[in-house]
Amino acid sequence: MVANTAQDSIAASEVSLYRNVLKIKEEHSLEHLGISFYDAETTIQWSYNADHYFHAASTMKLAVLIGVFREVERGQLTLDAPVHVRNRFTSIVNQEPFMLDLGRDADPNVYGHLGKTLTVRELAYWMITLSSNLATNLLIDVIGVPNVQKALDELEIDGVRILRGVEDQAAFDAGLNNEVTANGLLKLLRVIAEGKAYSRASSEEMMKIMLDQQYRSGIPAGLPKAARVAHKTGNISNIHHDAGIVYLDGRKPYVLVILTQFTAENGRGTAVAEVSRDIFNSLAGSSYE
Amino acid sequence: MSDVREPALKVVDAFDLDDELRTILKPGEMIRDAQGRRHRLPRYFYEIPEHDFAMEYRITPHFGLNEFLLSDLKEAARLQNFPKYIPCAVRLLAFYLEQFRKDAGASVHIAVNGGYRSPSHKMSIDASPHMWGTAADVYRIGGTILKTKEAIEKYNDLAEDLSEDVSVLPYGHVTGINADDHVHLDLGYITLIPREISEDRMEQPQENRPRFAFEDRRRKERRAPIEST
Repeated sequence: MVANTAQDSIAASEVSLYRNVLKIKEEHSLEHLGISFYDAETTIQWSYNADHYFHAASTMKLAVLIGVFREVERGQLTLDAPVHVRNRFTSIVNQEPFMLDLGRDADPNVYGHLGKTLTVRELAYWMITLSSNLATNLLIDVIGVPNVQKALDELEIDGVRILRGVEDQAAFDAGLNNEVTANGLLKLLRVIAEGKAYSRASSEEMMKIMLDQQYRSGIPAGLPKAARVAHKTGNISNIHHDAGIVYLDGRKPYVLVILTQFTAENGRGTAVAEVSRDIFNSLAGSSYE
Repeated sequence: MSDVREPALKVVDAFDLDDELRTILKPGEMIRDAQGRRHRLPRYFYEIPEHDFAMEYRITPHFGLNEFLLSDLKEAARLQNFPKYIPCAVRLLAFYLEQFRKDAGASVHIAVNGGYRSPSHKMSIDASPHMWGTAADVYRIGGTILKTKEAIEKYNDLAEDLSEDVSVLPYGHVTGINADDHVHLDLGYITLIPREISEDRMEQPQENRPRFAFEDRRRKERRAPIEST
């Protein structure tokens, strides 16, 4: 009888969440919305349109992060290795060089070192916490895109396709883009959260970086201030994503991915934060003992 | 007159270095450039014992030794640590860079991987004067980061005016596409033989040591007993 009551409560909570999500999608006129979450406390996994592929935007940097730690674990790289900071990269399509638009990625922590070096650790930090495109492309130059994809394959993370670095216009024009699904990013984050991203030490190192995320208008904006979120956002003209691990006092973390695609007329809005808030409310209202 | 004297730079014959270093530096080996021309790699190097020494030692009034040694993980792992080695011809490059700085009227900054690159550096695919210590990739002059065609061509002209000995590469030299981030200037494939060096050992094995690691391996293989069946 008690079990039935708990099951009923879960079902009611899921129905309520589903309705709220549809409402948010409608209110913000979202073209596409993808959600996936897993709660380690209750073991509830819930998703909405979670296998739909979106342009990855900067969430692809999570895959690059895992690729970097793969090379570190294999002894091919050390986190303290210096990397020359330069703004010149090679397109995957025609091998022609291209440069990043400094105005679009004005992260002085990396650009300020043009001509000098930053360590792999520093680049990984700025790639995640300030979403530095320059740091991302430099790290991809060091490890190579195939090794990023190898890392995803080895860790059995499907739903994340990494083909190229950032601002490779020739690749974009050829239709070659990085893509993610909500379920794909959920798998990636769970591997890190559960300490299985090559080693516990590497997983913890990645987690530490993600906890220092500076952009907090997505998942954290829908949570109480005390919540700690290890996450990565992704924003381009018609995309706003956030994918993270949420830590609340007194319970195990939950992993949440919210992917949104909107029209130019409606703009970015607060859909991600609203979904985050509803999921938090839904979990806070659940009681499973 | 300053009372401060620079510590002496130690010159080494790379044939006297250990096997690993000789394999990395490939002294005296022939290597082809992108046009298929063959060049002999330098044999005499300055040995830089430690980081502080590299930082303090001035080759010319405005160029420190460390500026020619900046590299990242593309350089052979052994050369990412001290002692480091740099071909003696770097002195000539520093001389021209000092003139270049004077004409530019501003400080001249060499990029990481833009000074000496060993033959084992990941960017050392074809022979380039970087492997002789006679090329510099300058990424900043004064406060100007060199990223535009105008800036790079302006300083290319200035470098070419220094001497007939100085060569530059045109803007976008990699593929001709508009994406460049430095002025490359070089003096060609110059090797410098310090006056304190005697070259009479050129063709002689030193202390009966093979010149390269692979020779050592071959010698050992030849000596290996033949297994009887």
